[in-house]
Amino acid sequence: MTKSSLSVVIAGIAFKNPVFTASGTFGYGNEFKNYTDLNKLGAIVVKGLSLAPRQGNPGPRIVETPCGMLNAVGLQNVGVDAFIKEKLPFLKKLKTHTIANIFGETISDYVEVARRLDFAGGVAALEINISCPNVKKGGIVFGTDPNEAHKVVSAVRAATKLPIITKLSPNATDIKVMVRAVEDAGSDAVSLINTITGMVIDIAKRRPALATKTGGLSGPAIRPIAVRMVYEAATVAKTPIIGMGGIMNAQDALQFIMAGAAAVQVGTASFVDPDAAVKVVGGIEDYVTRNKTSVRGLIGAARG
Amino acid sequence: MKVQTAKILYNKEAAPGYFRIGLSWKKPAIKAGQFVMLRVDTGGDYPLRLDPLLRRPLGVYRSIGAGVELLYQVVGKGTRILSEKTAGEFLSLLGPLGNGFPAPPKGKKVILVAGGMGIASLFMFAARLKGATLLFGARAKAETAVADDFKRLGLKIKISTQDGSVGKKGLVTELLKDEITDDSVVYACGPAGMLKAVSRICHSGGVTCRVSLERAMACGIGVCLGCAVKTNPHAGRSDNRVYQMICSDGPVFDAGDIDWDAF
Repeated sequence: MTKSSLSVVIAGIAFKNPVFTASGTFGYGNEFKNYTDLNKLGAIVVKGLSLAPRQGNPGPRIVETPCGMLNAVGLQNVGVDAFIKEKLPFLKKLKTHTIANIFGETISDYVEVARRLDFAGGVAALEINISCPNVKKGGIVFGTDPNEAHKVVSAVRAATKLPIITKLSPNATDIKVMVRAVEDAGSDAVSLINTITGMVIDIAKRRPALATKTGGLSGPAIRPIAVRMVYEAATVAKTPIIGMGGIMNAQDALQFIMAGAAAVQVGTASFVDPDAAVKVVGGIEDYVTRNKTSVRGLIGAARG
Repeated sequence: MKVQTAKILYNKEAAPGYFRIGLSWKKPAIKAGQFVMLRVDTGGDYPLRLDPLLRRPLGVYRSIGAGVELLYQVVGKGTRILSEKTAGEFLSLLGPLGNGFPAPPKGKKVILVAGGMGIASLFMFAARLKGATLLFGARAKAETAVADDFKRLGLKIKISTQDGSVGKKGLVTELLKDEITDDSVVYACGPAGMLKAVSRICHSGGVTCRVSLERAMACGIGVCLGCAVKTNPHAGRSDNRVYQMICSDGPVFDAGDIDWDAF
């Protein structure tokens, strides 16, 4: 067992293992320091950052669903400047990579956030969120329209030398078209899937359970859809894929890798067990050791 | 602090649909008013049961010799599964979490106001008080099953039930109106409507009121941002957040900081 059997290279960055935390489920990393060994993670993808701080949506913001949950947090975050000043110093000291998830209401917002993170240093890559379903402006338009997606990724590409991962929405009509569009615009990798838009109705109140009516569905309920979309994306992708959607353990993560993902992100599972992502690392390590293989040797293994 | 596997010591129905569950927990350092996130699974390293997926926040009722006792009422899928568990089985536990109740200022008349299951968050706090009064409101007698525990602490207790099956018929806020004085300090836990009314009564009397809040939450550690509660502008800390998190900023708040119209 050597460390290199777990390592992967994505967008020119060497990751010691293929397990990252998913944006929006791991705060800014420091919230988990008493619950898990952050240095064992392949990367920490932080809560989505906007130019100005955002307060988020009114409550109720979450509701449980069968094998999953809906959330409509509304991209509450401290803003890029406070992130750089207050959160990044902690992350820089860790022996893992920090990936900054960014979003904006306009293309110039995205560009400015990217510039500031580039200038600050200490961030390994940017993950461009073009796919959050929980804000009225921005996000979702970029996430479902390949021309808009191309525009935003091109603009960020021109503004930063940092590697760019583009996070794709499952709500797009054809994921393959989106993959091609963002790759053509200079994206170095794609990550998918973000949450799937859903609704729960409170029959006692005769109203949607969430204040915003709809929210993003996550958790094991969406995993088969996510695996299918990673598999589809891999048929056209020229850049590495980071797969996510309902990963609870190493077996789930391996499905994504065998479907064609070079790395995975653990999301909702971290709510259930703050140590879940590190346990996934351990489980993948066991699998590759037992089968005398490497993560790199398993990428796309299920593809005919 | 990590997730721990807790053995069920007992799981007793104290009244119809109303349970006391004892969980093993070595040396729990719990502050009065803190809570735990409980998962109705078998414990161990990996979740086996994916539905219900999320943990449930439950106030720690009291410390017992070998662990802690929690109270719950069967209201949905999670609590129904919990009620079917028996001694010797295991659950997954995360905690203790949250801030807990601040000690009352000296020389004040302490009034505890509990509504239904809100009683669960108040016992450990009550155990530290002398000469306090508990006002305990419930829908019916079954929900007052633990009232004797408080009597044994030496508290003065007044009960109200909506159906009149025990105590005064009506709402606990009526009891509060009779009990409250200028030198009172009030601690309350219960349903949203009760907390709003208690807060209003205290505010109009210029009385300090602390409330322990509850809302659906996924993580319990300030990350999912699901349990946001809107606070008044003056309550903003240095970061001027409009929303505070019940799990990591609370669950106990100064009632004057909460935007009750939005709650």
